[in-house]
Formats: sequence, structure tokens, C-alpha cells
Amino acid sequence: MSMRKYISGRFLQLIPVLLGITFLTFALLSLAPGDPAQKKLSAQGVAVSKEILEETRREMGLDRPWGLRYINWLSGLIHGDMGNSYKDGTPVAGKLIKAMKYTGILSFCAFLSALVISIPLGVYCGVKKNGVFDRVMRWFCLAGNAVPGFLLAVLLMYFFCLRIQAFPVIAKGSVKGLFLPTMTLALPLSCRLIRQVRASVLNQMGMEYIDGAKARGVLKPYILIFHILRNAMISILTVAGLSFGTLLGGSVVIETIFMWPGMGKLVMDAITARDYPVIQGFVMVMAVIYVVINLIVDICYHLLDPRLEEI
Amino acid sequence: MGGSVSTILNIRMMYGEREHMMKKTMAVIMAAVFLAASLTGCNTSNSFGTASTGQAPDKKILRVSESFALQTLNPHLDYQGWYTSIYGVTETLFYMNDQSTLTPLLAESAKADGTLWTIKLKEHISFSNGDPVTPDMVIRNLKAAGEINTRFADFKDYTYGVMDQKTFTIDTKKVYPMLLNDLASPELAIADLDHSGDMKTGLVATGPFVVSSFEPGGTIEVARNEQYWNGRAKLDGAVFYYMPEAGTSMMAMQNGELDAYTSVTSDAAEQYRKEPDKYKLTTIPATRLQFYILNENRQNEAVRKAINLTVDAKAIEGYLNGTVSETVGPFSPTAPYGKVTKAKPDVTAAKALLEEDGYTLNSDGYYEKDGKVLSIKLAYYAARSLDTLAALMQEQLKEAGIMAVLTCEEDPDGTYIATGDFDIGLFCMIADKAGDPYYFISCTLKDGAPYNCGGFQNEQVQSEILKLETEADTKERARLADQIIQTAIDENAFGYVALFNKITVTRNGVREVAENNPFDFYFLNADTDMD
Amino acid sequence: MIKLKSIENRNYIRRNVILILLLILMIVVISLLAPHLVPNDPYETNALYRKGAPNLKYFFGTDKLGRCIFSRVIMGTRTSVFSALLVVTASLTTGTVLGVLAGYYGGFLDRVVTGICDIFLAFPQMILAIGVAGLMGGTMTNAILALALTGWTTYARLSRGLVMALKNEAYISAARLSGSTGVEIMVEHILPGMAGELIVNASLQISSVMIGFAGLSYLGLGVLVPEAEWGSMISEAVGYMQQAPWAVMAPGAALFITVLLFQLLGDSLRDYFGVGRGGYE
Repeated sequence: MSMRKYISGRFLQLIPVLLGITFLTFALLSLAPGDPAQKKLSAQGVAVSKEILEETRREMGLDRPWGLRYINWLSGLIHGDMGNSYKDGTPVAGKLIKAMKYTGILSFCAFLSALVISIPLGVYCGVKKNGVFDRVMRWFCLAGNAVPGFLLAVLLMYFFCLRIQAFPVIAKGSVKGLFLPTMTLALPLSCRLIRQVRASVLNQMGMEYIDGAKARGVLKPYILIFHILRNAMISILTVAGLSFGTLLGGSVVIETIFMWPGMGKLVMDAITARDYPVIQGFVMVMAVIYVVINLIVDICYHLLDPRLEEI
Repeated sequence: MGGSVSTILNIRMMYGEREHMMKKTMAVIMAAVFLAASLTGCNTSNSFGTASTGQAPDKKILRVSESFALQTLNPHLDYQGWYTSIYGVTETLFYMNDQSTLTPLLAESAKADGTLWTIKLKEHISFSNGDPVTPDMVIRNLKAAGEINTRFADFKDYTYGVMDQKTFTIDTKKVYPMLLNDLASPELAIADLDHSGDMKTGLVATGPFVVSSFEPGGTIEVARNEQYWNGRAKLDGAVFYYMPEAGTSMMAMQNGELDAYTSVTSDAAEQYRKEPDKYKLTTIPATRLQFYILNENRQNEAVRKAINLTVDAKAIEGYLNGTVSETVGPFSPTAPYGKVTKAKPDVTAAKALLEEDGYTLNSDGYYEKDGKVLSIKLAYYAARSLDTLAALMQEQLKEAGIMAVLTCEEDPDGTYIATGDFDIGLFCMIADKAGDPYYFISCTLKDGAPYNCGGFQNEQVQSEILKLETEADTKERARLADQIIQTAIDENAFGYVALFNKITVTRNGVREVAENNPFDFYFLNADTDMD
Repeated sequence: MIKLKSIENRNYIRRNVILILLLILMIVVISLLAPHLVPNDPYETNALYRKGAPNLKYFFGTDKLGRCIFSRVIMGTRTSVFSALLVVTASLTTGTVLGVLAGYYGGFLDRVVTGICDIFLAFPQMILAIGVAGLMGGTMTNAILALALTGWTTYARLSRGLVMALKNEAYISAARLSGSTGVEIMVEHILPGMAGELIVNASLQISSVMIGFAGLSYLGLGVLVPEAEWGSMISEAVGYMQQAPWAVMAPGAALFITVLLFQLLGDSLRDYFGVGRGGYE
């Protein structure tokens, strides 16, 4: 009963946040300097005359008050209409959905790789605390957190594509091509997760039930997998979920460098072309994705948390 | 407390539900495997399949990178025809050959009688679906381009007439000697308007290749047009990858993922030169001009002349390392028009000019007058190496005691070009669009022209421009153009710095990618071949 | 025995903090004195030595225009350090003031601040920064603004929570009874109580802002050429990395080291103040 109540409560909380997101992204557009109508026309390469400008302003509804425009935009949004691209007049929503598939694949692979890398390494560091490997990993993780994504991408690309020619530069088109962008995104995330996994494992190992299990002669690997890791998973998932925002932010740079046709690439192209509705749509969709992922993490957290299961 | 609850839970699991737990774990593992499988599954199927066609060993598929991606295929829109022409999909009535001479392509011949042009089409020309190209379809194309492309707006106002099955007329109403050059513009490509849909994703035209796969804003693939009217393309097809970053193209080329591309950067060219057994680099002077506008409203003759004397195009060419050639006038030195002269760079003379004008050197090494340092605003945008040019000019001006303050704008047309808020405004454009000087002159020197934004005014030049518009004699056109450009140089209204070279790199064994044609809009053609 | 060990540990932590602070001080001094430290003019081009390897005149070699990379990296320190400090100062002040006010007065004000905070938190930081910089146009000021706009929420949330916890402490109630006004209490009693947490957060934020700023510049949304900045230097040099790897490596290493130092500072300060979730220990 409490679970259902909790989930519905979280969904209710989502409404003002989503409204806020739309409001802020709509307001963002007014940050752009100059007249939107003029921008639209120059993005299309149309010679600007006073009459055309006036007509475009009317078409875009710029003569109406700001609040009314927001409400109009919002009602369009509810019907899935995010406006049209200044550059080619096609719907922004369509562009974003197409690109979202690619960003989704990339982020999912990166996320999965990060878990696959960090859980065994983190557990090992925790179990062999202060061993040589643990010490090396500590510095490795510190360093990994201090390398900016774009630098890592450039270095990996230089080494793997040019020096040993093991991977294609054109990421799209093959599974192999996905490897480098995935690793570029996954490595910094793994560095953060390894620390977290290690800390959770240490935390769990200090608990009395482990001693109890040991005393009963339960095998060590079994304890590790079914007790320690299961309980540590809760905090690991929380940190991983929160890191998803960094992952999404990082994907913009990575997609641009690796020519991956995802949302990050889309927005960079849009910025170059001053295609404001696309930039606006991108910011909003990313925020919504981020909020939804956090919600899922929260719900998982409650599902996984044994305390709720028992009480 | 958390510990004790967990203990209860774990004891419960250990003593009764170990089996249940195992099942759960299995389910999780299976789900993960399924997810992974479905992911790789979708990788190899649908839109991930581009590589397989690109790498098929038995077919000759040329892999190329382009720094621009089309959203739709309509060749009449904006500059899109440039790309459909590069892809080898569209053709025009006339084309510019490697010597920049107008040559008939779809057309057989043309003759003018005052404002009335009679154009005869070749026999047996057909679209890729086999339909013949009729005068009626050509007229519809010209009108359609005139409707949606402001640069060709005149074409919607001309009157057309069909004479017979292969001949039609265009009445330009005003004498317009440049009509055939216009008809060679790739935007005036001839497409089968009845079978191309809305030209968003489909395009039926006359070129040696047809679009086989098109992803708006991304990769485009073309295949041989089996019904090409003018022979048979040697290649089976080509893939054009969208790579806006020059660095990516270079890496992909070196990694063996590309066979050819143009607009090679100086950095990349340097690398290719090191491996002549692998790559062939072709450099020819092209038509894209780097120039600057001097603002007469803000700086007097002496300062402008000093600037022109200081900017050393030869040195800039050296820095840009083979990507540009220094120039005196806006057009190629081989063109019959635009034969102009300008003074050699001379920093001492520039300094003398400034001192004559009342400037004195201050302790920082800059000139000042009435306690005010000679500081000029140099506006530019970060494309076409203009950022490098700006940095180099700043350094050169410093030598002459002129302080240049750099201002970078993203959109020059919306900022300094429109407002005139600059002392030196850098710009880059194609000066010679179709083998004639009129276009560049009319948009940079005519009264009220968009790029005449530095206050250049000269009665005589205006009347010469009017004459140039309608003059039919080529020699006279060249003479007028020379005179106009020379005046602009003598009045220190402009500075023409360098012409970009068209640099094409091909993997050895790749031939005929229009690498010797100075126009950017030619690439793939029926003769293109690879080993 | 245990006590002795913890004292020893504390001394170790203190030594650590001082060492890192000294290193950071060095970087700050470098950035302050940058124009006097550079061996060559960072903007001066040299046609005869382009993409030149490191030598005695050019410690880190030259870039494609023959500019001294060492001098440019030193000048870049200034851009990087100052922009980061500016962003952190701006977001720290705004965030803390709003957070403290909301926490102290509660009620409607609290709900408004928390609401706004929640909305800003819904945006991944870099995404909002890219959006803002992309819409306003890429300049250094806009990049700083974009990063500050996304950075303040951390402080607002943190200080609000701390104030809520602190305001019922006995000494605060005592101050209130002795007739201190709200502002006095906040400035004199509450702020000092949470300084540690704020400093730890600020030093961690500096490193992430530096990465963010360099990232924006790399994308062309921050500092523009020819201005010397690490991110844009890297972005410019990637094209000729094979011929002059030092043009990428030098600014890359500078960025890496500076970010690492600020991260180490954050970690060691956290141990020193004993706040927040445990680090690596």
C-alpha cells in the first residue's frame, strides 16, 4: 500500500517541476539577443525587408503578449508540437525523436559499461582495502575524474584510430564504431562509481550480519554477491542515477567529436545555424529525461530498500 | 538499525528462499542478455547498415566526406543545388569547364537576339526514370527556382515560350548578357518535377548517379544511373558522409574510411604530402575570396591607406600554408577580367603616412593623436580561416603602430555588415560565381549593396556598374570591371587578401573527381573511377 | 591508542591541506603575474617556426601560427582560474543568500526558493549551460553566466538545510532572546557555522566549472580565438595533432593538473572539516 502511495505522490510532485521546466525553457528563448523574427529569416537566408519582418512577426505570434505566447506554446507542447526548425521548417519534435534513439543507445551502452567496469573493480578494492591494487585505483579514479571528456575523446581517438588503427573514425554504422564513444563516456563515470562501490562494500562489510554469516560458515563469494553487493546496489544505483545528468551533458561533446548523430550533435548543429527552437527543444527534452530517470531511480530505490519490504 | 533489518531479511533468504533468490537472479541475467541481444540486433539491421554497402569489396563505391548536409533534396532551394551537383545527381543546361569556360551540357546551343534568348536542348537527354527532358519541364524548373530562391528571383518574371520539341525561348525583358552563366548555376538544375514528389526525400534528375539512400542532415548514398543519357558511370556508387569538422575527415582518410574529399585544411595537406605513395593532393586556385572592407565613415584616407600598405598578403599566404593564394584583385589571375594593381606592402611608408596625418608613436609602440591611441575595430567571424587572418592582421598592424581590437561575431550579416560598426570588416565569399565579374561588383560596390557597408561612394563607378550590367561585349566587360575594381583599390575602400585554393585529396587510384575544376560545386561525375 | 591515532591522522590531513593549498597558491600567483612570466608574447606569430617542437626558446613548442605555446598556456591559467573563481563567487553568494533566507524565514519565501531550486535542478548542468551559451551566443561572459546560472542551486539547497538544522540550536535562540535582529543572527551566528561545508563545496565546484568552461570553449561556446584559453587551444590544435602533439598535450596537461589540484583540495578539506559523505577513506 505504501509503495503505491509513494509512487503516486512522486508523480504528483513531478507536475510543478515539469511546468517549471517548460517555463524556464520558454524564458530561455528570450535570452537570445535580437528579434526572433529576424533570426528566423536570416537562418533561412531570406533577405529581410520591413514588410516580410512584420508578417513573420505576426505569423510567429510575436505581437501578442509574452504570457499568452507561453500558454500557446505550452498547449502545443502537450500535443507534441515543439515548433518548427528555423532552418528547414521541419518539426523540432521529429528531429529530436530521431536523434534521441542514438543518444539513448550511446548513453545506455556507456551506463552499462560503467557498471560492468566499476562493480567488480570497486568490490575488489573494498575487499582488499589498502592493498596495492586499491592504492593504484585510488589515484586512477582521481585522475579519471579530472580529465575533461573532450580531452579523453581526442586522446582515445588519436591513439586508437590513428596510431593503431583499431577502430573506425565514423562511429555510426558499426558496433565497433560505438566502442570508443561509449568508453569515453563510461570511463569518467566508472571512476566515480568505483569509489562509491568500494565505500558501500566497506560499509556493508562492517555490519554484524556479515559476521553472522561468516560464523555460520557460508562461503565467501556467496556472501559477497548475495549479501554485500545486493545491499550496496541501492547506494550504487542512486549515485549512478544522479550521474546520468553528467552523462547526458558529456554526450554533447562526445557526439560532436565522434560524429554520432544523437541529440548532442543535433544541438551543436543547431547552435551553429542559430536554429533556436531546436536548442530550446533539446534543453527541455533533456531536462524531462533527466527528471524521469531520477524518478525511476527513486522508485527503484524504494523497491530495493529492504526496510520498506519488511515494514 | 538498518543493519538489524537487513539481518532479518538475509536470514530469511538464507533459510528458506535461496531457491527463490536464484530464480530471481536468473531472471535478471536473462533480461540483461535479452537487452544486449536486442541492442546488437538493432545495430546490425535497419539504419546501421550503411557501412556494409560502403565496404562491399566487389563494387566500386567511392567514400567521400562533405562538410554540409542537406535537409531536403530540392536543388532549387538556397545553395542546395551545389550539393546535388557534387553528388553527381543533378545537371544544368550549361556548365563551367576546368578553364572556367561556359560549355553546353543539357543544352545544345543558345543564341540571343536583344532580350530574347533561344535555347536548343540536346537530343536524347532523359531523366533517370527514362522520361525525356522537354522544354516545358526545363521552363517549369527555371520558374520553380525563381519562386523559391531569391538569388534567382528574376527567373519567375521572365517570359518563356516553347518553340518545338527541343527548343524554347526566354525573354529577359531587360538586356541581360549573363543569362547563360546563370543557367550554369547548379541551383538551376533540371529535375523531373512530376516524379520527384515534394523533393524532400526523392529526386529524379539527369545526372550520372541517382540517390539510393538519403538521411536528412546525414549520410547520403548514390548509385549509378543505369539510364544515364551521356554514357555509363564508371563507379557503382558513392557514399557522402557528413563531417563538419575538418579534423574528422583527416582522421577518417588516414584510417582508410574515406577515398577522397575537398576543402582539405593546411594541417591535413601537410600530412598528406608526407605520404605521396598513398595520397594524391591537387591544389588549384579557386574562386572563394578573403577580403576586408575599410570603413570610410570612421577612418580617413591616410589611416586606410596605411592599413592597406601594412597588410602583407604574401606573409598571410605563407601562414595559411598552401590553402590560399595571395591576390591583388578579387578574381583569379587567370581570368580575363579583374586585371588590377596595388602597392607593395611597405610598413615604413605606412608609418610615414600616419606621421604626416599628425600621429606620433607613444611609449607602447602605438600611434596616437591628441592623446588618443590609434585603435581600430577589426570585426570578423570564425570561419574560412578568417580567425587566423584576423590574428595575423592584428600582428601585422601592430608592427606599423596600429592597435587592432578584434571582435568576433557569429553572424556577420546580422551584425557588423548590417550596422557598419567596424573599421576593418573581414569577409569571405565566392567572388566569381559563374565566370563573370558582375555579381561580385554589384554586391560589394554598388550603392546600397549589402556589402558596400563601409561608405564607398563614387559617381563614376556607379555609372560604370550600370553599363556593366547590360554590356554584351566580353572585352568591354573586362575593361569596365578592371576600372571599377581599380578605383575601389585606389580609394582604399577594400583590401583583397587571398583566394582560397580548392584542395582535393584522393587515395591513389581514385581519378576524375573534378579536382582540376575551380568551382566547388563539381565533384562526382561519370568519369570518376577508382581501382 | 585510538585517540593518538586520530590526532596523528588529523595532523596528516592538515599537512595535506597545506601542501595542496601551497600548490594552488602557486597557480593563482602564476595567473596573477602571467603577463610578466611569459617568455614570449603569447599572440606573436612566427612564420619561421610553425608547429615547432619544444626547444629552449619555446618550452612547449609552437602552434600552427608559430605562437609560443608555453606563454599561451600561462596566459590561459589566468582565463581559467579567474573565470572559475568568478563563477564560484557568483553562485556561492547568490545560492547562500537565497538558501539562508529561505531556511531562516521559512514559509512562503522558502517554498518559492525551493521551487525555483527544484526546477533548476531538473536540468543537467552542462545541458543548461550549453543551451544558455548557445542561445546567447558564445562569448566568455555568456559562458560564465551560463555556468553560474546552473551552479547556485547546490549552495541554496545546502545552506537552507544547514540553517534549518542550526536555527533551533540553543545559542541561536539565546541570540534571538538577547534582541539580535534576523540579519545579525544570520551573519554573525549562522554563516560561520556553515562556512566549512560551503568552502568544501566551493573548492569541488571550482574543478567542475573549469572542466565545464574548457568544454564550452572547446565547443566554440566560450572563449574565442585568438584569446589564449586551454579549451579553445586544444580545439584549435586537434587538427594538427599528428604534426605537433605538444599543442594539444600542453594545454591538456595544464587543465588536468589544475582540475586535479582543486579536486584534491576539495577532498582534503572535506576530511579536514569532517563534513559530507566520506571520500575515499
